[in-house]
Amino acid sequence: MIESLPLFPVYVVDFIGALLMVIFSLIGFFYARRLTIFQPKSVLWTYMFWFSMALVALAVSRGVGHTVRFVLLYMGEREVWKNIAPFSGGLNTITFTSVAVLTFYYSNVRSVIDRVKHDAEALYEANIRLQKAQEALRRLNQNLEQMVEERTKELRQSEKKFRGLFEGSKDMIFFCNKNHGVEDINPSGVELLGFKSREEVLGRSFKDFFKDEQQWEMFRDEICRKGHIKDIEAELLRTDGSTRNVILTISVMKEENGNIRGCEGIGKDITKMKQVTESLIQSEKMASVGQLAAGVAHEINTPLGIILGYAQLLEEDFEDDPDALESLKIIEKQTKICKRIVGDLLKFSRSSSDSEVADVDINECIKEVLAITEHSLNMDRIYVNKNLSKDIPPIKGKKEKLRQVIINLLNNAHHAIENEGIIGIWTEYDRKTNEIRVIIGDTGAGIPSEIQNKIFDPFFTTKGVGKGTGLGLSVSFGIIKDHGGYIEAQSPPKEKRFIDAGMETVMIIHLPVNKNDNQNG
Amino acid sequence: MKPKRYLANIIGILLFFVLFLPSNALAVQVHGPPEGFVVHIMGHIFFTSALIFLIYILHKYPLDNSPAWKYFKVSIFFWLIWNLDTFMVHILSVRLPREAIVTGSHLIHSKLKGPFDLERLMFYFGKFDHLLCVPATYCLAMSLKDFCKRVEKELNTAGSGTSLV
Repeated sequence: MIESLPLFPVYVVDFIGALLMVIFSLIGFFYARRLTIFQPKSVLWTYMFWFSMALVALAVSRGVGHTVRFVLLYMGEREVWKNIAPFSGGLNTITFTSVAVLTFYYSNVRSVIDRVKHDAEALYEANIRLQKAQEALRRLNQNLEQMVEERTKELRQSEKKFRGLFEGSKDMIFFCNKNHGVEDINPSGVELLGFKSREEVLGRSFKDFFKDEQQWEMFRDEICRKGHIKDIEAELLRTDGSTRNVILTISVMKEENGNIRGCEGIGKDITKMKQVTESLIQSEKMASVGQLAAGVAHEINTPLGIILGYAQLLEEDFEDDPDALESLKIIEKQTKICKRIVGDLLKFSRSSSDSEVADVDINECIKEVLAITEHSLNMDRIYVNKNLSKDIPPIKGKKEKLRQVIINLLNNAHHAIENEGIIGIWTEYDRKTNEIRVIIGDTGAGIPSEIQNKIFDPFFTTKGVGKGTGLGLSVSFGIIKDHGGYIEAQSPPKEKRFIDAGMETVMIIHLPVNKNDNQNG
Repeated sequence: MKPKRYLANIIGILLFFVLFLPSNALAVQVHGPPEGFVVHIMGHIFFTSALIFLIYILHKYPLDNSPAWKYFKVSIFFWLIWNLDTFMVHILSVRLPREAIVTGSHLIHSKLKGPFDLERLMFYFGKFDHLLCVPATYCLAMSLKDFCKRVEKELNTAGSGTSLV
């Protein structure tokens, strides 16, 4: 059984331990100080600094206290130590109380710092995002300016290209609003419709340009139903009252929401092409009819000659029989009429070469015809208005035949007017096409459109039975064709000057002038 | 008489009695001998609770697993044990009879007398508290040294001293 334990080991451990504590706490204090120097804003290092500083104080207090105690007790000065001990204990109490306060304080500050740090990080991230956004915005802005410039340039080029197409197109291009009012139209369209400027056309309803209003309504309905019409032929009215045949292609224009904004279209003027086509068809028809007529006339001409010969022989035999003689005279007369018709048919088909080709002055020719016919025209109060150009060059042709053509046309004009009217005669020379035009117009009733393509057909006539054979225009057509020209009928006339002169129908003879002859002449 | 003048007269009379007729001052309380001990014990409790709180904070908001933090945690642990030990020794020293410690003529002759029950043995071995607080101080110093190295390294690479650790 142990009776007592020595306290000396306790004092030795206290003494050595106190020294070690002082050393280690000073080392700790040194590093804590360095940390606060490196990162003075760090809360942790500040806490560590004060924590270690308090511990240094504790260590020193305890170390010194224990050392002093050890020394004093070793020296036997217990009473002295008793006086010092409370100060050492008090200092110890203050130091670890300070450490405790610091710890509580640090944790609170740390939570605040954590929140601040969290907010600061969030703010920093937001700032980074903002900087990135600003940078992106700046780049976008720079690019935008460049892009706008490039796009504007492209747009300008595109606009120039399409404007060039629009302005330079020889076909009519137009844009209408949803009320069919013209919003824009190119110069070809303005010219086609007979206006002088674009401003005159803008705002007008496209319907007004249609000769046939029903045709427009039909087109409009189809455009609304199908969204477009393609290659539809229409007859448009010009400001001078004349018409133009146009091939129209129209499409609707829609807004982004699908509502119809208006329409856009292209119109191709086919008037000349149509005239040429019709003329070609007519020529082909005339050629085939002429061949037929020539064959028939040739076959009939011989029997008619025999009938006429025998009729004349019989007249000699029946001179004493008045009844028989009268019948034979009738046979002779009618046979001669038949021969004349057959003769006309032959003239139409092959224009017999019974007159010689020579220089013909058209004006002279007209004057000679009028010298014969004007009197009878005047009898019916029909007056002739002559507008003969003085610079008409002579042409190579058959004067008799040309005279016959003029007579035929004057007869037709006379028939169209019947009583009281004016026949206009114009002659002119077109240097561009190098042709002479002879225009014979009348103030008659005009030619109905439905028979206009038949008037050159053989035996087609509007005159009563026995008044005409229907060969006049056919023969004239054949004669002019033999001269390398053609006859054109316009009812009503297309040119304003003829309309102004009161003409309802004009027959235009186109006769080419041989260049060599003209230069020689 | 106006109220203001009336109040001034009363204050004047009171001042006269206070200044010219003093009695014993009782405001400063004199603390007896056990108070120092109690304050010291309370300081230990306060320190212990602060360390427990710090351990709780480190557990709730774990930091990285670097040697510096490991040293720091070990240090806190030793400080906590030391606190408990000193607390226990202080309590036991009060309970220990005065004659249990024999001081003798020389320090070497100082003894703790028996009989040695658990309490007396705990008192004796608890007196070796430096075996706890020295490692605690050492670990704290090592922790700060490692932190310092880390920060120096960071500063050398980053070149900035504005961390909010």
